[in-house]
Amino acid sequence: MGPLRRQDSRTANANRVQAAGVEAGLADPGAVEPHSGSDAEPDGGSDVDRPGRLGRPIRLIVAFVVAVLVLYGTVAGQDDLFPFGPFRMYATADKLNSPVADTHFEIIDTTGATIQLTEVNTGIRRAEIEGQLGRFQKDPSLLRIIDDAYVTLNPKAPSPVRVQIIIRWYALHDGTETGAYTTQTVATWTPPGVTK
Amino acid sequence: MRQTAAASGKRASVVGPSPTVASTDGDTAAVQPARASTPRPPLGRRVSGWMFAAVPTGRVAAFRTLVYLFVALDPLWFTPWVRSHAAIPGVFYQPLLVGRLLHLPTPTPPLVNGIFWALIPLAVAAATGRAPRLLGWIVFALYFEWMIIAMSYGKVDHDRFGLLVALAVLPTAGPARHGGTRMTERGGWALRMTQVAVIATYFLSSWAKLRFGGLGWLTSATLERALIRRGTPLTDLLTSTRWPLLLAQFGIVAFELSSPVVFFVRSRLRYWLVGYFYLFHLMVMLTITISFAPHQVAMTSFLPLERVRPIVWIRRFLRRLSDALPRTTTEPRPHDEPRPPASSPAVVDGHR
Repeated sequence: MGPLRRQDSRTANANRVQAAGVEAGLADPGAVEPHSGSDAEPDGGSDVDRPGRLGRPIRLIVAFVVAVLVLYGTVAGQDDLFPFGPFRMYATADKLNSPVADTHFEIIDTTGATIQLTEVNTGIRRAEIEGQLGRFQKDPSLLRIIDDAYVTLNPKAPSPVRVQIIIRWYALHDGTETGAYTTQTVATWTPPGVTK
Repeated sequence: MRQTAAASGKRASVVGPSPTVASTDGDTAAVQPARASTPRPPLGRRVSGWMFAAVPTGRVAAFRTLVYLFVALDPLWFTPWVRSHAAIPGVFYQPLLVGRLLHLPTPTPPLVNGIFWALIPLAVAAATGRAPRLLGWIVFALYFEWMIIAMSYGKVDHDRFGLLVALAVLPTAGPARHGGTRMTERGGWALRMTQVAVIATYFLSSWAKLRFGGLGWLTSATLERALIRRGTPLTDLLTSTRWPLLLAQFGIVAFELSSPVVFFVRSRLRYWLVGYFYLFHLMVMLTITISFAPHQVAMTSFLPLERVRPIVWIRRFLRRLSDALPRTTTEPRPHDEPRPPASSPAVVDGHR
């Protein structure tokens, strides 16, 4: 059933609502746009476009199901439940006097320069590296994925001779950065054909 | 302005499927139970009336255009890295539950590029408001798959729930024309569900903080870590002492937990609150460079978007320009033909 026909079938009912509003002292409920003036392009009078007979209960059921899924995801789920997972961005509590991690993935190219890698020059987000950090740590040869991605997007750039993931651990004192940090190399990989 | 039946001093006859009447301020929460001598309707019916509060179709049309234009822009501007995943080996792919349940294929260049090149033109077409149901469902499916690909490589973003809900409900909002003044409950439901999703994102993110960080989150060094990771020059001003960040953490949780109050205030205050939400995101962007752009687009569901009429404004400006030009560039002469109506689209410089 098309929406316009649905509109016709309910015009009488809508008019009753409108009449009720007028009787109750309301302005015309359909004319709620005093600002619209000449800009308005009236599209079918002042009746109300309502869901069909099943439309309202179906919508309510769907809303309820989605609400249950989101609540479940928030209470007991993980990111795997996307889009119903918990909204957990920066939701963990970092200790005031423990170092905090800042992960980098980078290459060292044939000129000896260290290039910080980002989603712009590799198409891979830093958080994605962090999300699979354990895999890179266990099998550093997976860093070839980063190497390939960088070379693909930067074909004219000097070639990488090393790809690595490091974590800078920034020291905190009473919740404030002290400026000191230590560097941990999580994984490193040399592309084939490159002399170490 | 809210007026009730009781205020009129007359008996109101409540009819229709929902015992509610639209108020005259045209806002999305502007439906309230009609007070009459009849008993107050049950809570379920009042909640249902609130969820289906009618809005002008012009608001739905404007929201639809905004959302679909964002979806068309997103793969190009906000998430171009998703397309880069086409070239990444499948070994890096970590499918989400939804991808495993639906047996979605591992992204390949044809799949990712196919979605990219289909999504953009179809989203632009949907932004025109034509075939809202057909185009809406197709765009939803394509964008959802785009997002599943985006989130299946080890990182899930939490700024898109409101936008995904908007895309899921807009196909059900019915036809809507820009500037339309007809009221729509279908469109009202779509906007309300988007609003609820937006506020749920705030409220439930505090819940997640309490779940994963505990009450200690409030006094933790989490914002300091965020600034170290994603800080801007502005953040140097904030990190010299601990107190601004400590206050900010309390403020964030207070803001997120109290955000549902936006549903219980009148429209003027509601707009101020939504403005405050946007200010919050501006500060987040300036300090830790997280834009929450899709969330912010969804949040426009709170605003009287029907008043934003750029095409009408441009037409009006051009009309005034065409009216002004003949007076300044040509001297009227007795044998000149009468000037055509200013509204004529053929008139651009005073001549047909």
